Amino acid sequence: METARKKISPMGIIGTVLVSLFALICVAPLIYMLLMSFTQLRSLYIRWDEVTFNLRNYYTIIFKNDFGRSLLNSIIVTVLACVWTDLVCAMAAYGFEKKPVPGKEKLFKIFLATMMVPSQVTLIPLFLTMRKIGWLNSYAALFVPMAGAFGVFMIRQFMKGVDDVYIEAAQIDGCPEYKIFFKIILPLIQPALVSLTIFTFVACWNSFLWPLVANTENSMYTFTVALSLLNSQHDTNYGLSMAAATVSFAIPFALYITMQKQFIEGIALGGVKG
Amino acid sequence: MKKRGLTGRKQQAFYGILYILPSFVIILMFSIIPIILAIYFSFTKYDMYSPAEFIGLQNYEGVFKSSTFYSALWNTLKYVIVTVPVQTLLALLIAVFIADKMRGLYGALLKSTIFIPVIVSNIAAAAVWKVMLKTRGGIINNFLGLFGIGEVNWLGTKALAFLCICLVTIWKNVGYYMVIYYAGVMGIPKEQQEAALMDGASPAQRFWHVTVPNLRPITYMIVTLGIISSFQIFDIVYQLTGGGPGTSTITLAYMVYTYAFSNQKLGYASAIAVILLLFVLAIHWLQDKVFKER
Repeated sequence: METARKKISPMGIIGTVLVSLFALICVAPLIYMLLMSFTQLRSLYIRWDEVTFNLRNYYTIIFKNDFGRSLLNSIIVTVLACVWTDLVCAMAAYGFEKKPVPGKEKLFKIFLATMMVPSQVTLIPLFLTMRKIGWLNSYAALFVPMAGAFGVFMIRQFMKGVDDVYIEAAQIDGCPEYKIFFKIILPLIQPALVSLTIFTFVACWNSFLWPLVANTENSMYTFTVALSLLNSQHDTNYGLSMAAATVSFAIPFALYITMQKQFIEGIALGGVKG
Repeated sequence: MKKRGLTGRKQQAFYGILYILPSFVIILMFSIIPIILAIYFSFTKYDMYSPAEFIGLQNYEGVFKSSTFYSALWNTLKYVIVTVPVQTLLALLIAVFIADKMRGLYGALLKSTIFIPVIVSNIAAAAVWKVMLKTRGGIINNFLGLFGIGEVNWLGTKALAFLCICLVTIWKNVGYYMVIYYAGVMGIPKEQQEAALMDGASPAQRFWHVTVPNLRPITYMIVTLGIISSFQIFDIVYQLTGGGPGTSTITLAYMVYTYAFSNQKLGYASAIAVILLLFVLAIHWLQDKVFKER
């Protein structure tokens, strides 16, 4: 079969060229963004001979204009969201899959149903709820609601493959319940936790509408919101704006480069957009 | 022994409840109650500062009389109709081609490259495209200028601005669906492809009679996911066009945001949100029905 396919057909060449071209279109804007980020352009008439490549924009982003703060906010919120989502969802998935809770399947169906609801529907009441409990302009407002039904569903799917024998053996040995969860279950479902962490990381880092509404104080902006505001200024410094976009992209990109296999597998298996 | 087993079971159930409790509280507080509240607010007049006042169907009457609503509805539908088929078809063709003809390192590289836009935030993507699409000096117009095409006002012309929103969306989404399709293609039993080859089927015939039918469940999933995510488009519109020029790129989700948080008409915005919810539920229901019939 392999040998039969090695023949070079005109269709194959055209296809290869087209797919290569598409891949180029996928990265060209990002390369453009990167190049622009080293410039200090306020007009778009780029004369490359006048462009001096330097890191001044990156210096500004990290040390000036509250940008550094928003970057730090995003990092803190994203890390908290990943840990929190993994923990809460793994606990719930374990309870649903391995414990004889009465009525659990009905409750699980309600959980799943909440996944269908668009975020704009809950946006207004969520904002009012957060205002009532005093969580606006806090990290909690951003990361606590991230632990939704999707994570529970995803980990439960994986938990179905975990043999009850491990749990029973530990119970017979008199292993306390919390130890069974932390020392036996969590290590066994590690691949699912990695996938969920990746999903949560990218979703939280890139999320925009909720942070825009919930955190309106300068010092509590996330990086994505700060990037958006930078772009809506009239006197845009294109170089600075592209540097901010580059930083915003670089962090999930670094994760993608280091964990490409888990990234792709997680999506191919989970198949549900976070 | 039996009695002990029972208490053991009860104890296990109790542990189970404790495990589920945190996620239950979160979903109840931040998902289930907000949905109920959204429906309630849609029947009230509410400006965030004075208490909500019940006004029956007035918000819905207002919405259905508003021409902005029909623009938003029409734009949202148009956006779904343009983006979903294009991104699904591109993802399918690229996945099948790479799986079929480019199993080597170069194919793997292309696959990884095409996925990259998926991890770019909508805001960063829109920011970059906005700079590239600038009328004066934008790189796209500069490029077109090489072929003697004059400066195009991409984001200032109604039809073109809408097209740009669609293009950025497609640019961002193809890689995601391509990865799902690719896994699907790899899962097609080899025997089927080989049998088709033995029967002397052309590549096109194999594509239509082996690949496409095998991928049907994935296609349903991808189309449903695509429709639902397209229905909720907000970020790209917010960053790229702000709904303009005029109302040419305003969408339902964008309208919910602006009416709630710029105009402080929370009841009215909730009515639009509920209409959006009904559309999304209808799509789920349809997809469920189609799935069961197959």
